[in-house]
This record gives sequence, C-alpha cells and structure tokens, in this order.
Amino acid sequence: MGIPKFLNIWGTHQFWVGFFQALGVGKVVFSSDTSEEQYRTYGKGRISMDSCYPVKALAGHIGELLQKDINLLFVPMIYSLPSFLRGHVIDSLSCTRVMMSVENIKAGFLRERDEFKERGISFVSPFVPFGEPEILPKYLWESLKEVIPNLSFEETAKAVKEGFNQLEAFEKRMREKSLEIIRWCVRNQRPALLVLARPYHMDPGIGHEIDSEFQAYGYPVLWYNYLPLEDWLLNWLFEEDLRKGFIKSPLDISDVWTSSYSANTNEILWASKFAARFPWITGVIRLSSYECGMDQPTFTPVQRIVESSGTLYFKFGELDETKPAGSVKIRVETIVYYLEKYSKDIIEKKLKRLSPIPKLLVDFSPK
Amino acid sequence: MLLLGIDVGSTTCKYVLTDKEGNILDKAYERHNTRQAEKVFEFLLRLEERYGFKKGKDRVYITGSGGGLIGNLIGARFVQEVVAVATAVERLHPEVRFVSEIGGEDMKTIFIKEKGGRKNKQVYMQNVCAGGTGTFIEKIGRKLRIPPEVLSTMEYEGYTLHRISSKCGIFAEADVNSLLKAGVPSEEIIASLFEAVVYQNLAQLTKGNIPLPKVLLLGGPNLFFKGLQSAWRVNLQRLWKERGVGDFTKEQMQELVFVPENSLYYASLGCIYTALEEEGGLYAGHEKLRWWVEEGQYQEKLKEGKGGLVKSKEELEEFKRKYSYVVENRIVPKKVQEVIIGCDFGSTTAKAVCITPQKEIVFSCYALSKGNPIEDAKEIFRQIKEYLQEGKVLALGLTGYGKDLLKDILGADVAIVETVAHATAGLHFFPDADCICDVGGVDVKIMIIRQGSVVDFRLNSQCSSGNGAFLQGVAERFNIPLWEIADKAFCAKAMPSFTMGCGVFLQSDIVNQQRKGWKAEEILAGLCYVLPFNVWVYAGGINNLAEVGKKFILQGGTHKNLAVVKAQIDFIKARVPDAEIYVHPYSGEAGAIGAALIALEHYQKHQKTSFRGFEAIEKLTYRSTTSKETLCHWCPINCQRTFIDVYVGEGEGRQWSKVPLEPGWTRLIVNNACPKGLVEDERELKVIKERIERLKDEFPNIADFVKKEAFRNPARAKVS
Repeated sequence: MGIPKFLNIWGTHQFWVGFFQALGVGKVVFSSDTSEEQYRTYGKGRISMDSCYPVKALAGHIGELLQKDINLLFVPMIYSLPSFLRGHVIDSLSCTRVMMSVENIKAGFLRERDEFKERGISFVSPFVPFGEPEILPKYLWESLKEVIPNLSFEETAKAVKEGFNQLEAFEKRMREKSLEIIRWCVRNQRPALLVLARPYHMDPGIGHEIDSEFQAYGYPVLWYNYLPLEDWLLNWLFEEDLRKGFIKSPLDISDVWTSSYSANTNEILWASKFAARFPWITGVIRLSSYECGMDQPTFTPVQRIVESSGTLYFKFGELDETKPAGSVKIRVETIVYYLEKYSKDIIEKKLKRLSPIPKLLVDFSPK
Repeated sequence: MLLLGIDVGSTTCKYVLTDKEGNILDKAYERHNTRQAEKVFEFLLRLEERYGFKKGKDRVYITGSGGGLIGNLIGARFVQEVVAVATAVERLHPEVRFVSEIGGEDMKTIFIKEKGGRKNKQVYMQNVCAGGTGTFIEKIGRKLRIPPEVLSTMEYEGYTLHRISSKCGIFAEADVNSLLKAGVPSEEIIASLFEAVVYQNLAQLTKGNIPLPKVLLLGGPNLFFKGLQSAWRVNLQRLWKERGVGDFTKEQMQELVFVPENSLYYASLGCIYTALEEEGGLYAGHEKLRWWVEEGQYQEKLKEGKGGLVKSKEELEEFKRKYSYVVENRIVPKKVQEVIIGCDFGSTTAKAVCITPQKEIVFSCYALSKGNPIEDAKEIFRQIKEYLQEGKVLALGLTGYGKDLLKDILGADVAIVETVAHATAGLHFFPDADCICDVGGVDVKIMIIRQGSVVDFRLNSQCSSGNGAFLQGVAERFNIPLWEIADKAFCAKAMPSFTMGCGVFLQSDIVNQQRKGWKAEEILAGLCYVLPFNVWVYAGGINNLAEVGKKFILQGGTHKNLAVVKAQIDFIKARVPDAEIYVHPYSGEAGAIGAALIALEHYQKHQKTSFRGFEAIEKLTYRSTTSKETLCHWCPINCQRTFIDVYVGEGEGRQWSKVPLEPGWTRLIVNNACPKGLVEDERELKVIKERIERLKDEFPNIADFVKKEAFRNPARAKVS
C-alpha cells in the first residue's frame, strides 16, 4: 500500500495509518518529502494544467511510489476535512483544486499508456468526506472492496473509527507540545512565532523550511493547526469578546469571516485571532504558495487582525518549486531585527489588554 | 502566375517564390538588422526585376511577427506564423509528430497527434523573454568572442556540462562569467549553452506532452548550430528511453530527429501552400511600401512617440527648484569630537559615514572594492582616521554584503541586514513612510513599511531590467557622461516608447528606435520614462501601487539622476494621485547612514563599543590562501576561492579544515560566486549543522514534531 505524502494527507496522515493498520493490509509506504529532485525525476512533463506547485508536486510523489514495491496506490480525493472548528463554522471543505488534483495528475500517467497497469498497481482514489464521518465508511468500502478481497463493510466502519482515534490522539499530543512551548515562553519572558499556512507547508519541499530558520535565532515556532485548545486558556484570551457578545464561543470566527466553508481557511482565520491576543506571540509568519486562490481573499483580513494588536506580520507569498535561498536569508534577518527590537513592547502592550495571567499558564511545573 | 511567400521575422526576412504549381523558383534568407520594411521592399524590387513579379497578376502571402503591417501595404494576405509552419509540415512530412522552431527572439513547439485519422495540433509559443532563443545563443557567443562560423560547427557531445540559467539571457551571461572566471574552456560552455536551450524548450513549451518521433527541427539556430542538433538528439534519446517510447541507437536518432531541406523557409512555404488552396492576395505593387519606407514610418514615429519628460520650461524649472538638492547635496566634513561610524560594504564599493550622537552627518568617504575586504576596510578607515584625527569613535555599524565577514574583525557593534539599514536611513528623514524604493547601480530594492518595520520587500532577482547600470551603459555608448544624462533627457521634446521588460530585448529595441531616427537624448528620455515600469512592475511585481501606501521615499544612487526622479514622480502620481514623494537627501549613502543610526541606538543602550580602533585595523595581519584546497565543491562551477585568514586574538580557529586555522584566527572566504561558497566544505557544514541542531532543540518547532511522528507507521495486528 503506497500513499503519496501530498496536500491534505498532511493533516489526515495518522487517520490513514490507523485505518489501514486496522484493516491489516500490511505496511503503508509513504512517499518521501517533496523535493525538486523528486519532481524533476518523476513528475516533470506529466502536468497538463496550470496549477499551484503543491498540486503539481503530486506527480512526483506518484511517480516515486510507482518505483516502490507496492501493489496498491491509494490517493484519496479528500472533499472535506476533520477540523477542530467543526460545529462553530459553516463547513470544513478542502480546496476543490486540491481535491481534483488527483484526477488531473493521474491523467499524466495515462496519457501515453497506463503506467499503473503496466506495473501491476491498482490505483484507488475514493471520495472522502471527512466532514460527514457517518457516510465515510461507505465511500471507503466501495472503493476498496474491489482491491482488498473479502473486505466487509463492518470491518471498514471499525477501521474508520480506529483511524479517527489515532488522528485525535496525535493531534492531542501536538497541542500538548504547543502548550509546553507557550509555558516556556511565559516562564522565560521570551517571544514565539506563529506560522499561518496550509498543513502541507510543513513539507520541506513546499514550505522550504522557512519557519525553522527562526529557531537558529532563538524563536520557538508554533503552528496554527496545533495550538492548545484548553478552555481556561481560550476563555482568558477571548474573555472580552465573549462578554461583549461579539462571538458565541472562543472558536467562533463569524466576527471576522462569514463565509466559513474551507477547513484550512477557517483555521488560519481563527489562529490569527489567537495570535492577535496571545501576548507571547509577537510575530506571525504567513506562508502561501504561488497562485493560491484560496489564500488570496484571506491576506488582507488576516494581516489586519494580526497587526491591529501590534503583533508583527510577515508574509512569504508565492512559494514555488525552488527555495529562494538568498532572499529568504535577507528576509529572515530583516524579520529577526524587528522581532528583537519590538517583542518586549508587544508582549507588554498585549498583556495590558487581558485580565491577570491564568495560574495554569504560570505555575505549571514542567516535566 | 507566380506565388510569393514572405516571412518577416524578428531578425531575418525570408521569401520563397514558386510557379503556380508550387515549384520553387527562388528563395532567400537575409538579416534585416531591424529594417523589416526596407528588406521586404528590396526583395520586391529584386523579384520584379528578375522574375517579372507583377502587380495585379501575381499573388503574395505573408507571415511572421512583422508581416501584418507590411502585408497591408502590398496587398498580401496574412497567415499566422504557427499556422503557416504547421501547414508546411503537414504537407511535406506527414509522419512528423513534434516540431521545434527556434527563431531570433521566439521559440515555438507544435505537437501533432493523430486520432481516428484526424490530425490534432497543439501549439506552444513564447516570445517575451530571450531565454532559449537565437539571440540568447549569439549573445553568449559574442561574449566568448567566438565568431558565428566557428560557433556553428562547435559540438555538444563529449563535453562536461555546466549549469547555465536558460531562463534569462542576462542571468545566463552571469553564469557564463563565473564559468569563465573558473577557467572552464569555452567548448564546454557552448556545449552547456546548447543543453540549456534544449532544456528551456522542453521545460517551457511541452506542457506535459511528450515529443514523439519523428521530430522536425526548424528555424535558423536549429539549422546553423550542429551542437544544438546533437543536444536535441541526446536529450530526446534519453527521454524516449525513460518514458518507454523506444530505445534508439545514435544512427536511428539521426533519422528520427532531423533538419529538413529548406528548414529556414517553412513559414514561407506554408504561405505558398495556403495560397495554393485558396484565392486572394493579389499583389498591389510596391508603391505604398516605398512611401512607408521613405516617409510613412517617420510620420508614424512622431505619432506613436510620447511628449518629453517635461511639458514646458516652467514645469522643468519648478521641478528643479524642488528637487535639485538631490544632486547638489554633499556631505560637508565637519570637525567634531565624537562620532558613530556606519559602513556599507557592497560588492563593488565600500562606503562609510560618520554621524554625531545628535544624528548629524559629518563625514562620508568611499573606496572601490579591490576584492579583498580587509584591504577595502583598511582604506576606508585610513580616510576616517585622517578626518577624525584625535576624535573618538563611540560605535561602529556595518551593513552590506561584507557585514558578517567583517563584524568581528573590525569589532563592529552591529551588523545590519541591508533592508533594515536602508529603511532606517529613509525613516530617519521621513518618518511614517509607507514605502522606500532604493534603486542602485545593479540592484533594485522596494521596501514596504508598516508599524515602523519592513514587513515586505522586493529585491530585483528576476532579471537585470530596471537598474541604473543599464541606463549608464546606454549613455556611455552615446558618449554621454553620467552627470549629463538628466539634462540631455530633459532636452528631448518627444521620446520613443519602450516596452517594459527583458533587458536583452530593450537593447535591441534601442537599436530599432535609433534606426527610426530617434536621437540619443530622446532615447535616454524614453529609457528614464520606462525605468519606473521596470522597477515597480517588472522587477518588483507590484501592480497596484495604491495598495502599498501614500508616502514614498526614493533613494539609491540612480535617484541622483533627476530625469529618473521626474519619471518616478509622474509614474507614482499617475497611480496614487495623493501620494507624497520624497527623495532622500543623501541618496547614495543611505545604507551607511542606516548602519550608523542603528549603531548609535546600540551605543545609547550599552554605553560601550567593541570597535578595535584605527591602529589595530591598520595593523591587521592576514594571510591569503588560493590553492586546490580552497576550491569550492558545492556545485560543478568549482569557484577558485581565496581564504583570507586574519589574526584577531580570539575564537577557536578551524582545526578540522583542509587549510587548518589555529585558535585566535578568523577566516574570510572571498571570490565565491554565490552565498553557498561562504561555507568551506562538508566539514564546516557539519559543524554548522550541529550548532543549528542544538539551537533547534532549545527552541522547538511544532512542525519538527509533526514531521517526526505523523507518518510513523508501526506494524500492528489487525483489529478483529
């Protein structure tokens, strides 16, 4: 079983690991991280439409997996995503381009001849509505029963549950890590950075590890999709908005984003509100891939939300295939200069707007 | 009845003359040196005389980028060039599935697919950038001083290939420069160039289609350069093997990828074949074309040109009253007791300024770089010492390319990235600015400011268009000294319009405008006028200037040219009517001033400096090593670097190095072509990586945890 490590697999990875383990289909082989070499060797020349690089890179992942010892290539068309904001937003859909990327890229391997068939690999790409967990087993079963002999619907439904368990456990661990970092910041009076991006910008070939450059300058890095969600913390940060009735719950984003359909977009907006309020986040790094139509309308609101609180906001837009190494270095040095210059003031200014720091943020002794 | 097919290309004109059955009677392929109309006129006179080509009886079809206008004047019917080529290919080579035509300033590919007996054509073309075209090859050939006849026989196979950027002609030139510097033989460079052209064509113009056999190569470069043909064959052989199209021998490739007879005339032949299928295109004679050549195009020149940079004498006087300080302003040395020094170590010059604790600028000096930063620094500090005499240095700030190399050696208090230094200098004079546009000799920086911070910036990294060196280079060719460019440009009452974009095309555009009769000062005015377009739109990628803000600062050496300033102001005002635009009073020294201001902040906070003192700098001992051991191995260019080792009395040295360095010494690496070369080799990379890993553990990143854990996939039993 091979799964390309692409787009929304980032964000649902542990679901698939748990799901296929439960089905007992053997080891899941993920493709490597995206790289220029992978794209050049396996992907180039197979893409017929103009698209963002994260979508195009899928061709490299599929091409790479074709060389591996697998007999099943599983490339889900993820229609909607699991999201911690579900129930507080209208929907949690994925980008349509991202979903359809599977069909588009697949065509590149069929144009001359069927390269999957040639290698004896079955290509399975089910429609996956994570947003509707109750119908999810049906779609997965229907696409997999052809290739996994004797697969029953009940088995599939059970495995889906197992997948969700695994994913939730993973996210919980990550949110705990974030809380640890946050407590370290409070204890040491040090600022942290928050990355606003899409989940696949963690892929070194897509996000080009721009965020990790800041670690060398002494800034821990938090990600928008794994922020801690403890009630005591959120209630402290959103206290005033709740009291004034701007929002119904700390996870409500209707005050800043009314068309809350896209899972990733919603989470970016919510995290920007978090960043604007949380004192020890003094800088926000926005990553966006070249020609991302989903990000476009969010740029101005997110920038305004973050900057209105005095928090610094820096955008690395138009990320593409190659890492612009020279200009990233200059940009990082520029950002670090201002972070160093203003962080202390920013923390003080933001603290003034909040009630006293919750005990759980300060008195917690680290492991 | 005779049939004539004319192809008016970007660098050459071609024609084919046939009888009414399409049998070729005559053909020609000649360079027009940007005089397209003249060349066609010459063709027509020749054909009228030799073959009795007759108005009202014989027929003429025309194609090519210059065909439309000329066609109208002679009664020709116009055929789109790709259509013309495709028509000819289909008729002459029904077995061909892929065509590459490379022209002087463009390139095209045609994919021909057969489905159910019907042929389906897919055409791709690019003509906005010189990368991968004939001009690109010739330019590099000229650079290497290889005569065209030699260039055409040079081979591709059997040479070591190096990386040459195929994207931009001017970048490619930079790559070629560093290859030359590294002593790579020109045979290898040319072979690499052919590789780059084929790569560019395959990368840009296939869009996911695989070129299938047979392949037809058309156009001048594909015919003339034997090496280019081999490059196509080798690349396609490899591609076909990889993609399972077939494993062909070298001999088979000769047949499968071929340059046909008349390969220069396919567009013209396409015209003929189109003419054979239809009526029309009756030759209307050469009279109108003669009028155009002799008069019309000059009248047109005046019509299409713009008015000058200024509309009236009054406007110019008012502008100069307001802005002439930009040129006249000088930093006048003033005796003081205490100074803060700011230095800007650029790649071509080193500049320094001294300011007082009250931020008054009291001294400036510069030195042209000699390639050894220690010597450059010594030169600068000698000048400062001479001015300062017994005065005291409170702090030292550095910026520019050499800042990190020299920080410890000179004992600088701060080493500031260029963007921050320039922004600080701009904001010092004009607080609350929204945008600072710094145009230097070779680079363009646009910095966008919010909350007192540079939140975004553009460095011109795309291509060289838009910088000051380009303007200066053109002026030099006209024998106009740098300081006279502005006044000359202001004299022009009209100016030609240049298209913003690629510097390579801009160069040929200049030649073209000259031929139309535009004079040097008018051309300079036109270039000043187009500069802001290149700076903001082409290099900066900023289409909506109003979004950037209202308050603009212009700085950098190029803004000492008032004609550029005028063009910039008009450009910005046209887009942001209520814009406030300021020109930095010390345009050229902004970087050094910024470094000094930040060093002053540091001094005010810490009340001390780590400056080593003039004497220590003068006495700096160093040794340079240039040997096999200092070669850079990060990429195949293998730059011959020099290690300059300086004794500073502290630091742990580099015991692990191939050129060991004892404790107390520090190393500068110079003559590297790119930032990668600043790292000695794998050994140093390992040392750096270990240091970064330690820091990463100390300052964690959630993404690292996710990457480590998210794809973990332990074997586990099936849930029953």
